[in-house]
Amino acid sequence: MIEVRGLHKSFGQLQVLKGVSLRLEHGKVLVIIGPSGSGKTTLLRCFNLLEIPDGGSLSIAGLELSFAGNVKLARKDILSLRQKSGMVFQSYNLFPHMTALGNVAEGQITVQKRSRKEAEKRGEVLLAKVGLSDKTGAYPHQLSGGQQQRVAIARAMAAEPEVLLFDEPTSALDPELVSEVLKVIRQLAAEGRTMIIVTHEMRFAADVADTLILMDQGVILEQGTPQQVLEQSENPRVRQFLNRIKGE
Amino acid sequence: MDDRKLQIFLDSLLPLLKAGVAYTIPLALISFILGLLLAVATALVRISAWRIPGLIARFYVWLIRGTPLLVQLFIIFYGLPAAGIVLDPFTAAVIGFTLSVGAYSSEIIRAAVLSVPKGQWEAAYSVGMTRVQALRRIIVPQAVRVSVPPLSNSFISLVKDTSLAAGITYVEMFRTAQQITATTYEPLLLYCEAALYYLLFCSVLSVVQSRLEKRFDRYSAG
Ligand SMILES: Nc1ncnc2c1ncn2[C@@H]1O[C@H](COP(=O)(O)OP(=O)(O)OP(=O)(O)O)[C@@H](O)[C@H]1O
Ligand SMILES: [Mg+2]
Repeated sequence: MIEVRGLHKSFGQLQVLKGVSLRLEHGKVLVIIGPSGSGKTTLLRCFNLLEIPDGGSLSIAGLELSFAGNVKLARKDILSLRQKSGMVFQSYNLFPHMTALGNVAEGQITVQKRSRKEAEKRGEVLLAKVGLSDKTGAYPHQLSGGQQQRVAIARAMAAEPEVLLFDEPTSALDPELVSEVLKVIRQLAAEGRTMIIVTHEMRFAADVADTLILMDQGVILEQGTPQQVLEQSENPRVRQFLNRIKGE
Repeated sequence: MDDRKLQIFLDSLLPLLKAGVAYTIPLALISFILGLLLAVATALVRISAWRIPGLIARFYVWLIRGTPLLVQLFIIFYGLPAAGIVLDPFTAAVIGFTLSVGAYSSEIIRAAVLSVPKGQWEAAYSVGMTRVQALRRIIVPQAVRVSVPPLSNSFISLVKDTSLAAGITYVEMFRTAQQITATTYEPLLLYCEAALYYLLFCSVLSVVQSRLEKRFDRYSAG
């Protein structure tokens, strides 16, 4: 289970998260939507401490951390929390000097201290899962955007994290490549992976989410099932946001 | 060219080559290797948030880049004995060139490390790596690739700059040419001959450079 309570984060004077609380059961999918600049990416990055929150607490699979602006976290805690989540970035961020298989094996070898042989065996299984069995030896620049993002998904799963985090995984892709990546994510959802996904793909969000969250200006404006948020919300700011994206 | 000149030219071919291979190249190589170690340390200190060492590193780079190499060599070889430090020409030359390579290359290495996109650090952290692991496995290999061409250029420049060691009595290739000139009175011939050897060495190094670049280019885009 994943839980955050009262999460705060500022960049200088700018308050980006103003007390975000949510919980997600194991095996469920949480989708975060909301206008640009509302703090979605920042929230997601707090889950694996790429941003360190200024206040509040975070617990993933039994590891609980509390934050206070002036207290430095123990390095050990940061590292073990990061291994409980796998991050898929908007711009893939694959390691360009390693093959697809190398990308998936690297963390297992360097961080989990698995043997290269074992890491590569697991890597091959993961690449097969994302439909890239035939590309294990390819370098990132030899792959399409959709293929690169699927390698990134396999890499994020390599440490067997409790939760997978996706930050707009398809928004850097050419339109015709979006569906192959969404298909992989849908399949992971069907297998019961715990995932937190930031996306602008509303159809996909409605399909895949167990819980949908709409963020605005650093707070959660509405949360519930996709139906509750997208169809039944009475909140005028929610209606306004939904009308605007419908118009696009 | 008359027979006497031709004879002098031919007679000095071998001594010059010997001096080049036995003195010029080793001086350049040793200074370059030591200089690179110094450069890596300097670059890492400057990238880190370590305040005092960072300031020292900046001062060092500023000092070396802002003064002529020949003057530095003169200070080390002719000046330091006045302060009680007497060095033989080779040691003085190695120290001078090492300091020079260390300063210039640290800027190259620093720029190369900083040129690796922030997303690479984040991806490394996201799979659970420490800062040192991220540097070693993800950042440095990419930075090395970026810095191979400018570092190769530095090495080629260094091979030519070793001729400055002649000024502090180190008998490398150029000083050998000077010595032969002193007995034969053929400066144009001998200095051109030395120049040809430098040209030859640098051309070979350029070929090595492009081989290296091709090797490191395996995974680049395009
Ligand atoms: N490292 C940073 N330094 C300063 N400001 C930042 C930083 N990261 C984010 N911000 C600011 O925080 C706010 C929230 O950014 P965030 O990226 O979380 O929004 P978002 O909801 O993901 O937006 P988008 O839909 O455009 O991706 C923005 O105003 C952004 O400019
Ligand atoms: Mg964002």
